[in-house]
Amino acid sequence: MKKTNTPVVELLSPCGSWESLRAAIQGGCNAVYFGIEQLNMRARSSINFTLEDLEQIASIAKENKIKTYITLNTILYDHDLTLMRAIVKNAKACGINAIIASDHAVMSYAKKIGMPVHVSTQTNITNIESVEFYSHFADVMVMARELTLDQVKNIVSEIKRRKIKGPYGELVRVEIFAHGALCMAVSGKCYLSLHTNFSSANRGACIQNCRRNYIVIDKEDGTELEIDNEYIMSAKDLCTIDFIDKIIDNGVSVLKIEGRGRSEDYVFITTKCYREAIDSIHEKTFSKEKVEEWKKQLATVFNRGFWDGYYLGKKMGEWNDEYGSKATKKKIYIGKGVKYFDKIGIGEFKIEAQSLDVGDEILISGPTTGVIEENVRELRVKDSIRERVKKGDVVSLPIKTKIRASDKLYKIVDV
Amino acid sequence: MVRIFFQRSKCIGCNACVEANRSRWRVSRKDGKCNLIGSKEKGEVYRVDVDEDEYQLNLKAAKNCPVKIIKFEKL
Repeated sequence: MKKTNTPVVELLSPCGSWESLRAAIQGGCNAVYFGIEQLNMRARSSINFTLEDLEQIASIAKENKIKTYITLNTILYDHDLTLMRAIVKNAKACGINAIIASDHAVMSYAKKIGMPVHVSTQTNITNIESVEFYSHFADVMVMARELTLDQVKNIVSEIKRRKIKGPYGELVRVEIFAHGALCMAVSGKCYLSLHTNFSSANRGACIQNCRRNYIVIDKEDGTELEIDNEYIMSAKDLCTIDFIDKIIDNGVSVLKIEGRGRSEDYVFITTKCYREAIDSIHEKTFSKEKVEEWKKQLATVFNRGFWDGYYLGKKMGEWNDEYGSKATKKKIYIGKGVKYFDKIGIGEFKIEAQSLDVGDEILISGPTTGVIEENVRELRVKDSIRERVKKGDVVSLPIKTKIRASDKLYKIVDV
Repeated sequence: MVRIFFQRSKCIGCNACVEANRSRWRVSRKDGKCNLIGSKEKGEVYRVDVDEDEYQLNLKAAKNCPVKIIKFEKL
């Protein structure tokens, strides 16, 4: 890679499972973030790791030269404090790089024991004085997702002008969300899920009422209000890949991909696209054509349609017009891994559902394997070549990378 | 009698069950998850048998539980 004056940017990927951890590494992330036990904003929707997993996560990260951050960013009650302290203490002992915190109790304890802190977007940092305040605790701060890029830029230049440094003596680094779901409420402070289902978003248990379709009725005369068939509370997904050059130029240090509740293929594709985009800026090969291609790839995995978020300040919000994902491709479960023949590069699978044809696009994922994308070049059942295999067959096919018995095999099809 | 089943490992410690029935539910200060008072663990599920009178209160706890890990069986 050519050396340029472009500042180094960290690509931070989400991990809600072992599969996603591997997928993020394969996609080319610089760091990952994940939750431990229940004190994180995806307590409901991701698998979440336990204290016992910390050592292994740290060791995988070290082996792959990436950084690791724990999200510990729900609101905390008194009864959570022991667990909070156990997480922070164990994280430090295992060599986890930082805690992403929003509650002051977490920041205070982490500072006390010398564990680096990143301030979560849940604290809603929207101005330089807040940055100054939190600089007593944190080296990296995630800006509120509702800021425009100009506002972020001003904060970055003010940090330099005022020389605002974190506890470790370096200038405070600014992180923003680059891709993924956006919330209808400012910095996720939403009460909707708690009101309707007793399920608090601020304890990581959001049931995502905002993603559904609603009819608005005037209670006085019973008139149904027209809302143009839009899901009025469901924001489209943020996608910044077409102006990521501007974001980096503005001095943002860390780009976060949202999606701990999403699958490993989403983590792999989004990480890969943003990795390529960041590298292309450094190599000065960033182009409209490349952006088009990345956007096409990003659209193949879970998404609610894309928009620029609030960064370009054009609109007050862009709403989804249908329920669920707009992904252009979907994966269908076909079977599971059996074994891998190293010397000849053949993977054996048991087909448990549907069928598989030569030429099909497949995805293999597993806790150690991460994500492998391939095209089926040949299918063999007991040494005889087949054009198609069905449920019940044990099939061998050429795969460049090792597969394992813990892997799942999917067929990728157009939606 | 009614048997209450509680899948403790999935508890997010939100306190909703405690609010519904303080005599049966208490949040542990050790790990921030809830304890089903008087229960025994069997295969990672905690269970306890209670009188019909207490059932309604626990039903409210189950209804309020955001992660739906409280279940019942009428004996």
